[in-house]
Amino acid sequence: MTESTSSQPDSYEAAVERLEQIIDRLDSGQAGLRETLDLCREGRELVTYCAAELDAVSAGLQELRLDELAAKLEQQPAEPRQS
Amino acid sequence: MGTTLERMNLPGPFAVGAYARKLEEEMRRRARVLLIGEVTGLSRSKTQAYFELRDAEGAVPCAIWLNDLEKLDLPEGGLRDGAEVVVGGGPNYYRGSAHSSPSFAFRATHLRLAGEGDLLARLQALREQLRAEGLFELQGRLPRPRLPKTIGVVTAEGGAARRDLVAGLRRRGWAGTVVWAFAPVQDRRAAPAITAAIQGLAARPEVETIVVARGGGSLADLWAFCDETLCRTVAMLRVPVVSAIGHERDSTLIDDVAAVACSTPTHAPEAVVPLDCGAARESLLRCSSALRRAGEGAVGVRTRHLVALARGPARALRRERIALNQKTREIRAASERGVGERTAFQRRIAGVVLDRAARRAAGPEAKQRRDALARAEVAFRAHDPERTLERGYALAEDADGEPVTSAASARALDRISLRFSDDRIDVKPT
Repeated sequence: MTESTSSQPDSYEAAVERLEQIIDRLDSGQAGLRETLDLCREGRELVTYCAAELDAVSAGLQELRLDELAAKLEQQPAEPRQS
Repeated sequence: MGTTLERMNLPGPFAVGAYARKLEEEMRRRARVLLIGEVTGLSRSKTQAYFELRDAEGAVPCAIWLNDLEKLDLPEGGLRDGAEVVVGGGPNYYRGSAHSSPSFAFRATHLRLAGEGDLLARLQALREQLRAEGLFELQGRLPRPRLPKTIGVVTAEGGAARRDLVAGLRRRGWAGTVVWAFAPVQDRRAAPAITAAIQGLAARPEVETIVVARGGGSLADLWAFCDETLCRTVAMLRVPVVSAIGHERDSTLIDDVAAVACSTPTHAPEAVVPLDCGAARESLLRCSSALRRAGEGAVGVRTRHLVALARGPARALRRERIALNQKTREIRAASERGVGERTAFQRRIAGVVLDRAARRAAGPEAKQRRDALARAEVAFRAHDPERTLERGYALAEDADGEPVTSAASARALDRISLRFSDDRIDVKPT
């Protein structure tokens, strides 16, 4: 029985690594029915997570300037005092 | 206060002018050497040029007589702020006078622009020092995201490296967020500005990887990326840094301390976003298909197995029934064959018995019957008229074959026939 976890992966690469483990285990044909169904469910969750990660870097290249971000950051503390 | 000075038990007090003269003499006796560093704060008077020779660890004020400088055949504008130079000379202390201030300077009598060899030697010394301190391994140990959502880039605002990087990121199908931290990449202000930009990006929690990029140039042009302070900063950073400086043959110190060193800015996108997003999508699709097949297959295979198992008893019964029917047919056939054989056998036996009985029955009695028959035949033949004819008699018959037994009967007929044993003849009675 391979390790099974349904928690959110730490990163895309961790998700892909786990996904590859799952596929290998399924391809080995050694997993029983219950384990197979659990692995498939976990795998589908990982696929969904990875697809969302890929979507996050597919919306369109956004370009920011560090100096502008820093300027905004300096303005932010002043706003609560005004309100 | 005076009491304290007395307790220090120092020699003197000496006249300061005498001390200054002694100091001047001692300075001038020190060995003449070559120094290498970056020119900063260059200024000129009517007779001298003044500048500081500086590197990351410190600086020395330098002065050179303009007469000496003109003899050096330097290229026009060669001595400028930011230039790496080698100076030859020694320390000099000017004790001043009643009307002029004292000063200290390294009195340069020779000066040349630092060559590739000078810089390489200095780079090698720095490289060995940082390696010995273990600063080359620190960045390499940091986990590097394969798919960062936000990357920070330090480069020149109008440089080709910026365009190359964006084009490369687009080619990889990556369209996340780039935070630009623009900085000069070639002069004495470059190294501190780049260092500050890197630190500013690293302070942003969303920045997952930092790229430092600059196009090609001579080692002197790229010297800012060999700056010790900059390289120490990069080495100690908790955010992975990808260096993409110069051309393929260029090797700067930042390449040694960075997590990844790319040969050119064009190669940086692959290092900063190792994942090819297009290929990743295809791979993910294949994974999804494999999972669906595995899930459906696991249930399907087991279902078919269960169905097969459920059919097992009925199939076994049918198999047994067929076998049983076959046996029955075989037994019946064998039985019929046995009966036939037994019947034929009994028939053969009966035939033999009957034959024997018949033979037994036909033994002496038949002979008696045959003898009696022979005797009867003899008796019969004795009375047979044919036999009489054979002995020479003839039989008279009318036309109808009736016997004519008297002469009178014969005369009454027109014709009679006489039948002999072999033939008959017609005669006319007279």
